[in-house]
Amino acid sequence: MAIKKIMCCCGSGIGSSLMLRMNVEKVLKQMGKTGIEVTHSTTSDAQAGAADLFCVGADLEEFVSSKGEYIALKNIMSAVELRAALEEKFAKLG
Amino acid sequence: MIAEMLKKENVQIVESVADWKEAIHVAVQPLVDGGYVEARYIDGIIENTYAMGPYYVLIDDVALLHARPEQGCIEKQLGVTIVHEPVHFAEDGSKDARLLVTLSATDGEGHIAVMGALASLFMNEEKIATLVKSNSVDEVYEIFMNSSEE
Repeated sequence: MAIKKIMCCCGSGIGSSLMLRMNVEKVLKQMGKTGIEVTHSTTSDAQAGAADLFCVGADLEEFVSSKGEYIALKNIMSAVELRAALEEKFAKLG
Repeated sequence: MIAEMLKKENVQIVESVADWKEAIHVAVQPLVDGGYVEARYIDGIIENTYAMGPYYVLIDDVALLHARPEQGCIEKQLGVTIVHEPVHFAEDGSKDARLLVTLSATDGEGHIAVMGALASLFMNEEKIATLVKSNSVDEVYEIFMNSSEE
């Protein structure tokens, strides 16, 4: 299952999730990945099938861990950590 | 960019607060006074913290306090509070912050440029170090005003 849609989540869908989405978009660009939809939303929107990959800060891991493939970041502002995590997921899922 | 959402009157510096709940009250109050959020926005952030933890402590020393638009946002706006004595958002001390940025956003997208500028600022350790020790509202305001998306 190739990654076509990434959903970044936080508790309210307007703050940290948006920052995370901007970082994901930046890192995808660096990686030369195109045609991937990146959205941001609340953890309540993180339902199985809503995205191919969920992205959250480590404190919200429990809200996505049963919903499918996910990345839980220790530091949501770290492009280095994010890139390593995304590369791992792309290697696994394509 | 940040100029669209931050007014100097919503920047404040305090020495200390009793606990994280008082920190949220103090940090959101200017936006309540200015009519940018309803008073219940404060309770919303506190409720969300009990439900999901202090996920808004984005990096060491920085909290981006916010709740969902429907929890009482009226108009998009930022508030900045420096608390010289770190606020403990987690009991174990893993989520301490001295820079509290309060965000009111009426939808998920309208403040995207400002968030880009904030993200750049938050990743600048030197500027954060200056902000958390500052005693000057003017200095804090200028640092925010001079931040833009990289």
